[in-house]
Amino acid sequence: MQHGNRSRAPILSRRDWTKLASLGVLGGSLSPWMSALAADAAAQTQRKKSCILLWMSGGPSHLDTFDPKPGHENGGPFKPIDTKVSAIQLCEHLPKLSQWTDRMAIVRSMTSKEADHGRGSYLVRTGRAPEATIQYPTLGSFVSKELGKESSALPNFVSVGPYRSTNLAAYDAGFLGPQHAPFIVGDVTSALAQQQAPDGYVSALKVTDLRPAAGVQPRQEQSRLELLRGLEQSFAATRPDVPVLSHQTAYERAVRLMDSAAASAFNLEDEPTKLRDSYGRNLFGQGCLLARRLVERGVPFVEVSLGGVNSGGMGWDTHVNNFEIVKRLCGVLDPAWATLQGDLHDRGLLDSTLIVWMGEFGRTPKINGTAGRDHYPLTFSAVLGGGGIRGGQVIGATTADGTAVADRPCSVPELLATICQAMGIDPHKTNASNVGRPIHLVDYNAQPLEGVVG
Amino acid sequence: MTKVETRRQAEADKGNIIAILLVWTLLFVDGARGETPVVEKGDRSSATATIDRLLASKWREQKIEPAPLADDAEFLRRVTLDLVGRIPRVAEVQDFLASTNPDKRRDVVEQLLADPAHVTHFTNVWRAILLTQASAQDLRFITAHLENWLNRRVRENVPYDQMVREILTTPLGDKLAVSAASQKEPTPLAFYQANELKPENLASAVSRVFLGVNLECAQCHNHPFAPWKQEQFWQLSAFFAGVQRLRPDNAFAAAPEMMDNREMKIPGSDRLVTARFLDGTEPKWDSGVSSRGRLAEWVTSANNPYFARNAVNRLWAHFFGRGIVEPLDELGRQTEPLHAELLDALARQFVTSGYDVRSMLRTITASDAYQRTSRLTHPSQKEAGMFARAMVRGMTAEQFFDSLALATGCKSDFRASFLTKFNRLDRPTESQTSILQALAMMNGQLTAEATSLSESKTVLAVVDAPFLSVEQKIAVLSMATVSREPSATELERFTKYVAESGNRNEALADVFWALLNSSEFMLNR
Repeated sequence: MQHGNRSRAPILSRRDWTKLASLGVLGGSLSPWMSALAADAAAQTQRKKSCILLWMSGGPSHLDTFDPKPGHENGGPFKPIDTKVSAIQLCEHLPKLSQWTDRMAIVRSMTSKEADHGRGSYLVRTGRAPEATIQYPTLGSFVSKELGKESSALPNFVSVGPYRSTNLAAYDAGFLGPQHAPFIVGDVTSALAQQQAPDGYVSALKVTDLRPAAGVQPRQEQSRLELLRGLEQSFAATRPDVPVLSHQTAYERAVRLMDSAAASAFNLEDEPTKLRDSYGRNLFGQGCLLARRLVERGVPFVEVSLGGVNSGGMGWDTHVNNFEIVKRLCGVLDPAWATLQGDLHDRGLLDSTLIVWMGEFGRTPKINGTAGRDHYPLTFSAVLGGGGIRGGQVIGATTADGTAVADRPCSVPELLATICQAMGIDPHKTNASNVGRPIHLVDYNAQPLEGVVG
Repeated sequence: MTKVETRRQAEADKGNIIAILLVWTLLFVDGARGETPVVEKGDRSSATATIDRLLASKWREQKIEPAPLADDAEFLRRVTLDLVGRIPRVAEVQDFLASTNPDKRRDVVEQLLADPAHVTHFTNVWRAILLTQASAQDLRFITAHLENWLNRRVRENVPYDQMVREILTTPLGDKLAVSAASQKEPTPLAFYQANELKPENLASAVSRVFLGVNLECAQCHNHPFAPWKQEQFWQLSAFFAGVQRLRPDNAFAAAPEMMDNREMKIPGSDRLVTARFLDGTEPKWDSGVSSRGRLAEWVTSANNPYFARNAVNRLWAHFFGRGIVEPLDELGRQTEPLHAELLDALARQFVTSGYDVRSMLRTITASDAYQRTSRLTHPSQKEAGMFARAMVRGMTAEQFFDSLALATGCKSDFRASFLTKFNRLDRPTESQTSILQALAMMNGQLTAEATSLSESKTVLAVVDAPFLSVEQKIAVLSMATVSREPSATELERFTKYVAESGNRNEALADVFWALLNSSEFMLNR
């Protein structure tokens, strides 16, 4: 069967979308998007940026990774190591990354008030505290909206291995609607147990059902889609509700993705064995490799979650036995991230790809009675690297015992504003929200951190 | 005929007989229906009338024109999904459409409530309420035990207040409870395990799940929008101060409860607080009543302003996709909710009925509000919170798979993988379909088998039925999926498609494919 040469009619043509939009089905969100696209098309080809978010699910211990406290009892047993930039030290379990500090800006003065996984994830991932009435979009969704292309065969926002249980809304498109929702690969939210086998990542990262079932001829498939389109048009015309619209968006994009050229992005078997090995043969490592393949093909936002050595979950939630667990997680994080930096660099993609490392909060500087660290939002670290970032610097500092910010406190909205700036997005651009009020991407009072981008 | 041909012929004949039997099953055999019980009268109908009266007055105020009532097919599909967790069978659709009984909507509710599937479905409904989905994911191995416990309560229609009291007072930490999972007598221990046997998690869950009050902010600081103070949160937690883990790192095994421990320290401070109810009153500590027992009395008291309201709000949300008050855990907000009167009226009715859940299900499903069409017939019906029309809702993974299984006759082997793939945690009225779900439904093995001329039970039964015309076959496929007769346009389009196709049977399978993939099939309209 030939797939590549066939042209596929979308389930909903552009005209259908326009019609739905005029019916108010789309809540006004799609039509401005399309006109904006036309206007921005040229500009975007010039400075097309991508972002890879490395999401540390559970809240990573900053004192045992990017903000070591040698000589203080809160510092724990890990030793600091020198890095490529002499003024910067990292924890000893990040040896490969230590060679990339010249391309990183480490923010050590992150601070928030949200110590709950659900609320913290929502804040860090959307830039807003949870509110009853407005569903804010997560970072990937608003980048998808600003930089994504409606016409692209690949999704504009891919999330690899997310563990969404703590707060689904923190991973969702919110008022931007289903067309900006993440395409989830390796959804470990509901299949935790299955992923933990040593080669569990293989099946977890496989996008299944990308081809029509055996025996279904291309013409037959077209006829089926025609029949479906007929059913959808009459149903959506009388029932313009979110679930109906979302169903149609998903089908339209699924049909487009079935195009063989685009779908091959998910085929990690195409990569050399050695490269796959150096990313690490686990969910996160191979997820980072997938991220590179997607970014290479123009996907503007990919997030890869690290929530367990070879699984999803809240692995960084180290209330008990922090040091052993963090060491193991660093063993996954360090080779994957360092290889990603190098791989992007070798392909000339590092300058156009922003890499962000963060989690929902930090961990208590004081070590608890079970050799663990508990939730701590008052100080934590985030790292920006690659495209658009002035590397080799540390932003802000915590006190010697790590319990408070000593210099240049950075709020979550400020960090997100900085990310926007690095991506070439105006952080204070507004979108219509579900309550009809225009909403800035990032809180209007938050400015990008000075001297980080550029 | 060669031997092989003879054998093939014999197999084909056997196939046909099976197909005909199946179509009979699809069309004419009733499912497991219980006997229609006698409907208890009482003031059920007046409670229903109150719902419609109060909503109507809001609509008048806001110049909203409500949608007309749903036709029989739309109503039957919705009420079947809502009460027994699956779409109606073809035979049920046909019977219902043909019936001239003026009380048929009320009667079908009684039949569904008496259906064993109602118990299974509402067990799932309560489980989802009791264990937040977040925790349920990790805790599948303890939820089975809770489901057994719930199953019996739903089957016996145990009064809701009694059910909650049982949860709040279930013994912890004696031998029986620790190994309860292996005992015959199920317990609601999973509620404690899901909350990690931690007093503060339990306080937060009890407040949210049973009172509709979200205290999570107050755990760390005074609530910015509601009157809750940090101290109140820890006073509530102190009712669970005696709850202990057997080992610190094991959230599943409870130690024997320290019954007289009802003090807690607010973390990060030296302040010690004693158990006190959320309204500030101090419990009477007579001997013989545990802290949790005292709390259970207060939570389930008819004087508690939140208890019954929270319950009816959540039951309402089950049928409408959103609560009378949204979010469901913000009953504690200081601003008066839009439909406060409606919430109060239903709560009063619930208390008067002795917290009779089934009676509340009758009250709600009998209302015009529930029975309206989901078609948008006037622009003023857009606001979901006004309940001027029914909203299209996403199905739970269980509802979806059980409906799919009914429509296709597929093997239950698919169940586990579908429950994972279609697991849904968003609000039903805002439910999203993912690209991956679309791919699974379009190209996945279940659909492939369901639309295969050699494997599909439904398609085989329909295409081979000698006594059905093409139009009737299309009608059966439509009823098997979207639970209604095809519209004139659809019938014309599908008939033309089948007529023009070189392979009539394959074309019918294509029609079935399209229906299975339609949003109308995959959603509750």
